[in-house]
Amino acid sequence: MTAQKEYAKEYKGIDLLAVAAAREVIDGDIVFAGTGLPMLAIMLAQLSDAPNAVCIYEAGSIDGRPIDLPTSVGDSRCAYQASMAAGLTETFYGQLHCGYVDLAFLGGAEIDQYGNVNTTVVGDYAAPQKRFTGSGGNPDINSLAKRTVFIMVQEKRRFKENVDYITSPGWRLPKWPSGEIVPKKELYGKYYKGGPSAVITNMGVFRFDEDGLMYLDTVHPGFTPEQVKENCSFDLNISRCKGETEPPSVHEIELLYTKVDPEGIFLP
Amino acid sequence: MGKPQKISLKEAANLIQDGDFISFSGFTIWRRPMALIYEMVRQGKKDLHLFEVNGGTHTEVLAGAGAIKMWESCWVGHELYGKLGEGVARGQVEGTILVEDYSHGQMVARLLAGAFGLPFFPTALSMGTDILNPKFDMLGKAGLRDGSNPKIPLKKYDAIKDPMYDMGEILLMPAANPDWALIYASQVGDEGTVRVFSQTYVDPEVIKAADKVIVLAEEIVPDSYLRQEPEKNIATGYAIDYVVECPYGAHPTGSQFFYDVDADFIRQFYTASKSKEAYDKWAEEWIFGVSSHEEYLEKLGVDRLTKLKANSVVGYSTTVKRGTR
Repeated sequence: MTAQKEYAKEYKGIDLLAVAAAREVIDGDIVFAGTGLPMLAIMLAQLSDAPNAVCIYEAGSIDGRPIDLPTSVGDSRCAYQASMAAGLTETFYGQLHCGYVDLAFLGGAEIDQYGNVNTTVVGDYAAPQKRFTGSGGNPDINSLAKRTVFIMVQEKRRFKENVDYITSPGWRLPKWPSGEIVPKKELYGKYYKGGPSAVITNMGVFRFDEDGLMYLDTVHPGFTPEQVKENCSFDLNISRCKGETEPPSVHEIELLYTKVDPEGIFLP
Repeated sequence: MGKPQKISLKEAANLIQDGDFISFSGFTIWRRPMALIYEMVRQGKKDLHLFEVNGGTHTEVLAGAGAIKMWESCWVGHELYGKLGEGVARGQVEGTILVEDYSHGQMVARLLAGAFGLPFFPTALSMGTDILNPKFDMLGKAGLRDGSNPKIPLKKYDAIKDPMYDMGEILLMPAANPDWALIYASQVGDEGTVRVFSQTYVDPEVIKAADKVIVLAEEIVPDSYLRQEPEKNIATGYAIDYVVECPYGAHPTGSQFFYDVDADFIRQFYTASKSKEAYDKWAEEWIFGVSSHEEYLEKLGVDRLTKLKANSVVGYSTTVKRGTR
């Protein structure tokens, strides 16, 4: 495109989250997406810069072309015009385990500096204070996708030095039964394909350095890198922050509200 | 072997014994055998051992009723309509439900082994997670891996070095063979052939893995009709033991091409599921306050069921209000 991009003057935090996530999709990617914002992101990407991206939902739909936004990955809407309406054996083994998946869009309750994510419990698992939903397919998809993008809420208690329970594997992991911490590449060996590539929150976009440590890549308009650092429990590296996150364009906002979620399901 | 026996919902629930090991059809809030779940609660089933790739509204109805003793799974909630599985969470925190977590892919591996008659199934999914932390083998810690219960494996999992292509370490997940598969299916033939519309989830694997299978059929149709397109069927009649004809049997969960998820109903249930008192009040109204599935449907009313009715071309309701606009 040669025309100058016109940026939206007004937008909500959640709009930027969806747009920033959509920009992680490379045209042609085979994307495995979870419920909620990941759905907005993949559908927006398909309508804008990545028309050839393909979406797999873990409940069984492969390359669906929904005309109405699904509200869960098992939704009949996911399977509309799909190339296959299969099941979990196909999605987890026939697609993921055999190595087709380029990009995963996932969520999480807590994350640590190596990208380990917790969606299981608060406190000691053997005597937890609180239970979340549990793993679902999050750790499986994140295990073998080439790139994973986590979409999360930025809060000090959610960005932790160590998560209470490693539900989903980051860049440095315990090797059981000893529990010795090793790089993901070493643990996964010949199955290794990649790992967490970005974390997108309501305050910024984070990436991982050569050692698998999280750093701030861009800060969303209206926030400073220092504010983001204050909302992390670990010592976040903000020295590599390259500036502000590109805001949503008028066209992207229009697509989000008129094509992706016109009913106001995830975008209030 | 042979044709499945046609029975009533009450008879079906009556077959299930306290302490039985059970799995289900469906995925989170889709195609769950809800009418049978309600009847099991009415009949006061308890100490159930659940094995499910993921939980949903049906799990929470059982959890609220105090019917679950063990839960081997990886996820429970109501998707957009209730973000947590409050009953299971309360049971895990208070210690009344013994929870053993795996991942989706690992649970599928366990079902595949069970379905294929193998002792285990290999997987490289979710290595390096706390799911595999030996400290968190909860059934083991409870002393249940001593072989006395034939449905509980001696190990939560194992890992071996690949002896074939030198691919390194890989996990082995133990087979699961539940006593019962409780299935809701779109169509069942009069000889027991089973068809589901759209995504199959793990329904075919659950049917094959279980010792006995009860299917709630939205419709019973001539087997000859299903045999015109055999590639669309997921199970053959001799794999099914009992069939119950039960229109709207998955409500409030959804059934592709028949009806959508009843979001308002699930939201209200989710709110009630947050405390024992509120759950009991809800159950008094929706489970114990009606004597049969027919009375439950009558209480829901024609207006509600009409709004949920799926459009026959796209497969879901195009009239139900889903968002804020």
